[in-house]
Amino acid sequence: MEGAALAVEGNAGQGLGGKYLTFSLGSEEYGIVITKVREIIGIMEITAVPHTPDFIKGVINLRGRVIPIIELRMRFNMEVKDYDDRTCIIVVDVPGPNGTVQVGMLVDSVSEVINIAPQDIEPPPDFGVSTDAENIIIGMGKIKGKLKILLDVDQVIGRTLASTLSAM
Amino acid sequence: MGENTNAKIAAHLDEMALKIMMVEPGDLSVVGELVVLVEDLQNLPGIDAYPALQRMGQAMRVVIGQIVMAELPDSANNYERLGQGIGFMQESCRRHGEDDEAAETAFFALLKEIGFVAADGAEEVTDPSPPAAPAPAVQQQTTPPPAKEKIAPSPSGPPQGLKIMPSPAVEAMEFLQDLELLTGFVSETLEHLESIEVNVLGLEENPEDQETINKIFRPFHTIKGVAGFLNLKNIQKMAHSTENLLDDVRNGIHPMDDQVIDVVLNVGDFLKTMVENLKLVLKDGPEQYKNYDITDYVAWVEAVQSGQKPGAATNPQEAVSTGAEVVANVAKPASPIPSASPSLNGPVAPATKPTASPAKMAVGDSIKVDVEKLDGLVNAVGELVIMQAMVRSNPKIAVLSDPKLIKDFAQLGRITSELQKTAMSMRMVPIRQTFQKMIRLVRDLSKKTGKEVNLVMEGEETEIDRNMVDSIYDPLVHMMRNSVDHGVQTPSEREKLGKPRSGTVNLRAYQKGGNMVIEIEDDGQGLNTEKIRRKAIERGLISENDKSSGYELNNLIFLPGFSTADTITDVSGRGVGMDVVKKAVEKLRGKVEAISEPGKGSLFVIRLPLTMAIIDGIIVRVGGERYIIPTTAIQESLKPRRENYNTVQGKGETLLVRDKVLPVLRLYQLFQVEPTYTDPCEAIVVVVEYEGRQRAIMVDELLGKQEVVIKNLGGLSDIPGVAGGTILGDGRVGLILDLAGIVQSHSSHGTMEM
Repeated sequence: MEGAALAVEGNAGQGLGGKYLTFSLGSEEYGIVITKVREIIGIMEITAVPHTPDFIKGVINLRGRVIPIIELRMRFNMEVKDYDDRTCIIVVDVPGPNGTVQVGMLVDSVSEVINIAPQDIEPPPDFGVSTDAENIIIGMGKIKGKLKILLDVDQVIGRTLASTLSAM
Repeated sequence: MGENTNAKIAAHLDEMALKIMMVEPGDLSVVGELVVLVEDLQNLPGIDAYPALQRMGQAMRVVIGQIVMAELPDSANNYERLGQGIGFMQESCRRHGEDDEAAETAFFALLKEIGFVAADGAEEVTDPSPPAAPAPAVQQQTTPPPAKEKIAPSPSGPPQGLKIMPSPAVEAMEFLQDLELLTGFVSETLEHLESIEVNVLGLEENPEDQETINKIFRPFHTIKGVAGFLNLKNIQKMAHSTENLLDDVRNGIHPMDDQVIDVVLNVGDFLKTMVENLKLVLKDGPEQYKNYDITDYVAWVEAVQSGQKPGAATNPQEAVSTGAEVVANVAKPASPIPSASPSLNGPVAPATKPTASPAKMAVGDSIKVDVEKLDGLVNAVGELVIMQAMVRSNPKIAVLSDPKLIKDFAQLGRITSELQKTAMSMRMVPIRQTFQKMIRLVRDLSKKTGKEVNLVMEGEETEIDRNMVDSIYDPLVHMMRNSVDHGVQTPSEREKLGKPRSGTVNLRAYQKGGNMVIEIEDDGQGLNTEKIRRKAIERGLISENDKSSGYELNNLIFLPGFSTADTITDVSGRGVGMDVVKKAVEKLRGKVEAISEPGKGSLFVIRLPLTMAIIDGIIVRVGGERYIIPTTAIQESLKPRRENYNTVQGKGETLLVRDKVLPVLRLYQLFQVEPTYTDPCEAIVVVVEYEGRQRAIMVDELLGKQEVVIKNLGGLSDIPGVAGGTILGDGRVGLILDLAGIVQSHSSHGTMEM
């Protein structure tokens, strides 16, 4: 009941509940809204693009379309780890300057698609200081006693692409 | 009473809040559950102590009922509002029903937004529910609903604007009922208007051509019909009266004269404004709608039809209005009325002459295809070609020497390359449309400047990549303006010089050696090379005793900030510099040059690649990465010899190539990759030229020459030195170098400046 009231007050009607694709980065579990996900592909050879931030690993050929790949570990300033057979690229749709663009997110492994009820979603933690995290986390999903960090893909990627340009 | 009751009501409201979160448009079963909850609320014991809550609950029940009955839109927005409404009910409950007026007011404001109309929250829900499509509510969600939704609560006045009549909102918006039909109407009408304009201009040459008159008549008829069907009364009326006038012309009752042409052109512009406004409505919602006042125009058309010849002359300002000015034009009351211009017979009569009458163009059968689908096809075919190459070069298959397999592969290769060629050609369109827009431009310009100009067009059938058409339009307009404005002299001046009174501007297009060439030639005064020379010296671009040829001097006008009116011609009012043209053309990977003979005229030549989609390039390797250098920029490649290599202290490295000292640019440094060679004499250098600046680019290896399909890098753009990507034979992405960026960043690194 508490959670529901919170949801209504804090995010009136935004409907945070729903299906999420979860994936892991190290020991942390993340979730993104399933409707943003285009497809999941295995790791493939990435062509580096100069003059871009480190976390942009480069570009790949996705069936004739060139899409950028973001290494999420680097994006979150986590330690980089070697790719293995569980490493995946989650291709998501995000708004770009000229319409929707597809961007690949490199993650350790993809877990599952889960349904998170609105009352199981807590607001993002308050770290006391204004951090990047506050803006890219939409909430914390509680599933069987475990916490899933729910990300706002548009913010994660959108800011990344924007910072790419400003870095020029 | 008391705490216990309050807690129960609060719990019930929480349940409602939960339920509303679950509701999704189209999911009426959940909405039904919500109704039950709202009804239960009314029956909760002790609710009598909360009159405000009762009122709100009652109103909410009615609204939800209307949504279920599809009388109000079944949209996510509305459910969000209901959710917020429940929030206010909770608030009221928390206050124990005291001091809750604010919550109640806010609640009813929300319901009003949804479309609920009630005096005091009671039963009288009489919103004459908007003609929200009677389609089953379930499907409504899929059509973009903002339009429908916003009509409902707008008893407010229609959008106000200059010369825009008030009109009942509902009546005005009836056409929004079928958005798909309206979208089709907008795009078709714009096309019709374009063809009308072209044909009308053709009529100026051939006033008696019945076929052309018919070609103007018919689209007006079509526009009238569809507009009537969509209940777009203004457009219908406008098209109708023009059609009447044209009918008279067709039947010989009214002569085809300048008046008619002026009227039809102006009506065309006006209709375009109205249709463009509809386009905006489709994009941004009905509040953008403008109810244009057409009475002046209709009166004008009728005046012309009835043969009145009001003495007033067409305001020349009016006559030359270009598309961009039309809106302002419309805003001016009664602007077109003082019409019918005797002045047309004056010295400013334009003689615009398209050589090939567009009316007689044979058009093959064709169908319209969504550009996105076409791009999708081109992409898929490109991928097919690559996959085929990959399969073929698979080591396990490559060793097979079965003659049947080899033959089949050859056949497969032929089919795929044929397919690719066809797919590519589907993106090509004739440049005719762009050229035809120039007819109007020259006509208007010559009227405005009082010059007589013949426009002669050739090669309108030459095909160009569809994606380039829009980008080439602006530079072309710019150059045509220059030619008419500054090239061609006034009739009297021309007579003094012994030239024919009317000047000629040639607009030509043709293909040559894998390029599309557009030429604009005038027989005017030509560029004043001496003035350009003086200006260049003044600016320190050349030295006093520079021996540049006339050609080189003339082409200085493409430098930024060079071409202002006082520097080149004495005619004032020259617009933006020619550097804009050059930049636009270079963006299309083309080149532009000026050839001029003082007193005789100038020739501007634009060379463009046939398509933006493909580029001829040399694939080079640097470490593990491969890059493509556009062949057009490459002068040569060579293995440097030790004695030609020098370092210049503090300034970098140079290489002597054909007696020229070229700065060396190490690509691996610029792009930060691990190279195979760091010694220039082991590596290969590719000599490139960009804007007269040469660079020796150092790479590890040349891999070959290939036509590659250019792709953008998804969300990554404006990366210095990278023009885009392409998919190489092995399926990996290779980056295409942008020499402008490379030369620039190399200079800005301070390593070497020429």
